[in-house]
Amino acid sequence: MTSNGTPILQLDGVTKVFHQGDIEVRALRGLDLAVNQGEFVALWGPSGSGKTTALNLIGALDSPTEGSVKLEGRELSKLSRRELSAMRRDRIGFVFQAYNLIPVLTAYENAESVMALQGVPPKERRDRVMKLLADVGLGGMEHRRPHELSGGQQQRVAIARAIASNPAVVLADEPTANVDSATAEKLLDIMAKLNAEQGVTFVFSTHDPRVMRYAKRLVGLVDGAVDTDIEKAQGELDPEMVALGG
Amino acid sequence: MIILKMAWRNVWRNSRRSSITIAAMTLALFVELLYAGMVAGLVYGMEEDATAYELGDVQVFSEGYLTKPSLYDAVEDDEAIVSRLREAGFRATGRLYSGGLGAAGELSSGVALVGIDPEGDAATMELHAAIGEGEWLDAADPKGIVIGRGLARTLALGLGDELIVLGQASDGSVANEVYKVRGILMSVAAGLDRGGVLLTEGEFRELMVFPTGSHKIFVRKPVEQPLDLARDEIAALVGARDGVSVKTWKEVSPFLAQYIDSVAGVIVVVYLIVYLAVGILILNAMLMAVFERIREFGVLKAIGYGPGQVLGMMVAEGMLQAVVATALGVTLALPVGWYLQEVGVNVGTLGGMQMAGMTMPPVWNAYYTLETTRVPVIMLFVIVLGAVIYPAVKAAWISPVEAMHHR
Repeated sequence: MTSNGTPILQLDGVTKVFHQGDIEVRALRGLDLAVNQGEFVALWGPSGSGKTTALNLIGALDSPTEGSVKLEGRELSKLSRRELSAMRRDRIGFVFQAYNLIPVLTAYENAESVMALQGVPPKERRDRVMKLLADVGLGGMEHRRPHELSGGQQQRVAIARAIASNPAVVLADEPTANVDSATAEKLLDIMAKLNAEQGVTFVFSTHDPRVMRYAKRLVGLVDGAVDTDIEKAQGELDPEMVALGG
Repeated sequence: MIILKMAWRNVWRNSRRSSITIAAMTLALFVELLYAGMVAGLVYGMEEDATAYELGDVQVFSEGYLTKPSLYDAVEDDEAIVSRLREAGFRATGRLYSGGLGAAGELSSGVALVGIDPEGDAATMELHAAIGEGEWLDAADPKGIVIGRGLARTLALGLGDELIVLGQASDGSVANEVYKVRGILMSVAAGLDRGGVLLTEGEFRELMVFPTGSHKIFVRKPVEQPLDLARDEIAALVGARDGVSVKTWKEVSPFLAQYIDSVAGVIVVVYLIVYLAVGILILNAMLMAVFERIREFGVLKAIGYGPGQVLGMMVAEGMLQAVVATALGVTLALPVGWYLQEVGVNVGTLGGMQMAGMTMPPVWNAYYTLETTRVPVIMLFVIVLGAVIYPAVKAAWISPVEAMHHR
């Protein structure tokens, strides 16, 4: 919930239809979802269940065919291009499966770039980025370019970049898909810690059981609609879900 | 700042492609700078020659004299006008004109007689400096004349030779005198070259029985004063009077002025042709850069970069390459341009060729001003902007979702 009691994120009756030639693909079918501030939510389900489409809509990267997506009470479909860019810059952090760091910027500059766009003063940027890089275990690697970092290290930079701008929500699309188990555990530890200590809201799309185990709420999607919505303790995971998610 | 930093680093991501693009820009700018200097040298030389030898900047003459020159159409109070103009800071001198026949031995030719105040003319015009052989006019040697090189050839005259001049004086009598050639002009202007016979003002008045007045008063303005303003100021100094015209050299000789303007127009066309080729190369390079980085643009849009920022980054990439090319192009052109301006190019047999009534000098010098160097540089940036704008708009308005799924 936001300070005025409304969910930080709310999807009501969201439908998304894609057209692939003459074929109509309904990726989401009346999706309803509300996420409160500080939640650590995983959208899970098999391929084609609509996880990534939902994340794209929440992240203001795409617009729904029907229904509404509200972030902090503002309906995204009513915002202009410029307002959507500002919304993505100021209120949303992204962590992508393929890291997607800017190759010409160093780790430090990648983490700093969104804050620079926000107009945050240089000293404040520096203090915050240095602390964040230290928090994600990249102290001393600030000046390395992405090609000089391992996959796990790049994903840590991506997490630092997503957090640096003080977003309302961090959207992580399969963040552990391209890293080994040990690195995945470390990344999840970092995000869980940021969630616990700084109250950052995380919404994941995943079918990785490790992510589902870390999540405090599991929203299962099937054929573009919510099938299950379970709150649980961090670290627990029903083996049946593992089977379904995998 | 972050956008400029990214743009600079992006330029060097594909260093080979960027180097080729910058090399093309540099070469184009180098060629344009030299070309601009040489053409400016030609145009400036023509304008300078025309005003310095024959036209002045502004002329004062009797109305109708231009279309139908007559011995009797003179500005009567020429001395008062010249003195008033000189007091106002202008250089001014009067000249007298008439036609006649020149004969030497068995040869004869039509001649244009020009009566000149040797000192006043030398202080105003540059004809005295265009003596190829011998000396300039001297009031103390009234029978000594200066003739055009072409006339000297036609009549087989050399220094010290005699020329018989025949004409009709203002009182209807026969003007007839023998003169001695004391100077031969270089080829500076077609009319003077073919038939010019320069004699002192006093001798002209005596020969043509023409005691007062000048057919034309030539005025030279300060270099920094615009031509039209100078004309207006001179007209005010001459004062309103019937039958007297005050005109700029461009109004007196519109054909030459148009010819010079058209040469300047040709420069722009050549700029465009050379730069268009470079523009296509830049367009191709930038489009390749956009297609290679579509996913990256999607990410930038996703993390909050607006279309204007992506557009700005792409434009900055093109502009930064233009900045590097400008630095290299100007550095390379500087010594060559200096050589062309100071030493020039020997045009060999083209020297003496007539163009729009003016004569091509034997050595063609470049002429550089801030204007001549500024235009090719500005045009390079305009062309780069034009070539970059389409790929930049394409990158700026890309859909982040589609871009991130681009394979």
